Amino acid sequence: MLWLWIVLAAVALLGIVLALGYNRLVRLRNEAATGWANIDVQLQRRADLIPNLVEAVRGYAAHERAVFDEVTKARAALQHASAPGAAAEANEGLTAALGRLFAVAEAYPELQASENFLQLQEDLTDTEDKISAARRYYNSTVMHLNTAIQSVPWLLIAKPFGFRAKEFFSAQGDTAPPQVSFSRAT
Amino acid sequence: MTLQQQIRSNRFRSGIVVLGFVLLLLVLAGLVGLALDYSLGAVALGIAIVYGLFALLRSRSIVARMTGAQELGEADLKPLHRLVENVSIGAGLPVTPELRIVDDAAPNAFAAGLRPKSSYIGVTTGLLKTMPKRELEAVLAHEVSHIRNRDTYLMTMAVVFAGVIALIADIGFRALAYGGRSRKAGALVAILAIVGFILAPYAALLLRTSLSRRREFLADAGSAEILNDPEAMALALRRLELDPTTVHYSDASTAHLWVESPTDRVDSERRGVLALSGLFNTHPPLPDRIEALEEAGGFRLSEGLPAGQPFAAELGLV
Repeated sequence: MLWLWIVLAAVALLGIVLALGYNRLVRLRNEAATGWANIDVQLQRRADLIPNLVEAVRGYAAHERAVFDEVTKARAALQHASAPGAAAEANEGLTAALGRLFAVAEAYPELQASENFLQLQEDLTDTEDKISAARRYYNSTVMHLNTAIQSVPWLLIAKPFGFRAKEFFSAQGDTAPPQVSFSRAT
Repeated sequence: MTLQQQIRSNRFRSGIVVLGFVLLLLVLAGLVGLALDYSLGAVALGIAIVYGLFALLRSRSIVARMTGAQELGEADLKPLHRLVENVSIGAGLPVTPELRIVDDAAPNAFAAGLRPKSSYIGVTTGLLKTMPKRELEAVLAHEVSHIRNRDTYLMTMAVVFAGVIALIADIGFRALAYGGRSRKAGALVAILAIVGFILAPYAALLLRTSLSRRREFLADAGSAEILNDPEAMALALRRLELDPTTVHYSDASTAHLWVESPTDRVDSERRGVLALSGLFNTHPPLPDRIEALEEAGGFRLSEGLPAGQPFAAELGLV
């Protein structure tokens, strides 16, 4: 009868390990989802600032139509991108377009002195800082999730339960963020 | 360790601390009861519980009063608020902690509050006037990690319990010393009780400081992780090391809160040998913390500090 008990104990142990592993993966997936929500909020905020900015510049430089179109298109692209990689790509595109808008704005001293424009510029910079903060957090959660999913033993339960690796929020050509490990501190 | 594991391990540790302190408390109350009078033991225990609960519930405002931290309006020091917001987002905190200012020339910062939602970060005006943006951000990230890791919770518990134990030991000691021999106490029990009353506060302090030192390494690591910039934290610590001033409002009971220990320099003179061993320090020595960051980040700080415009200039404070 001894072997029966051994088998039962092994099965019970396996069950516990499976449950713990499953919970761990769920937790990691939720963290990554929260991280993505944080980025999404800031991207939305950035997109919301654009129409006002374009209006402010148009007031002083109505004929610079090409730049306005470019910015508006880049904004639309950002709002339509849903996957992290594509959103990062679109976000970079918006940054480039905004760079050209601000270059154009340079030529208009009155615009540069306008309170409204300065405020918008400041808000935009702040949003960009927040996007990069949210991106650091999101990418680190994705790193943890992906590492867990791709390593033994969680690898074995990740597939059957439908856990998938997530995309980093980074445009093509970017590399994953370097990770610092603190062997001594923990 | 992932973040959640860290938080859970901290919660577990908090549980152990609470359990350890409760045991110590019961032993002490038992000693009072044995050596003197059971009703006195019960009364002492009652006082301790009430005192402890009061301290826990009021810890937020007590800390604010002890450190002299002033509340800030939304509109004041906007760039600083934004910095805290960004760091909190980087840390994945659901709520940005409140910000308070301590009017003190010494550069330092602390975090307080039982839960992340009700936590706040205090920074001294000296910190704003000393640190450039990059290092200030690292210090803020250090404090945010204390909040995120639930260190503020753990340490508040530890401090309150340490205080409660000191209180009971004191009651017991005085009752024994001035109340004369009670009818029940044998000489042995009385001696045992006296030794217990003398040693208990030190045991509590030891427990508290050993917890606190580990937390500091973790928060430094957290800061490096949040900003992805271990060098910034190391530079900030180096700048603190080179700065000769210490916080005016400091007090042993709030020492663990600050980013740099505000009491070490005084303590090492007062406590002599004990302080030398480092056992009663709330913070590991700054060079050790810098070294840990250098090791983890794979860099070496060069001699001297990069010249940078202090953040206070950006805030228009100078």
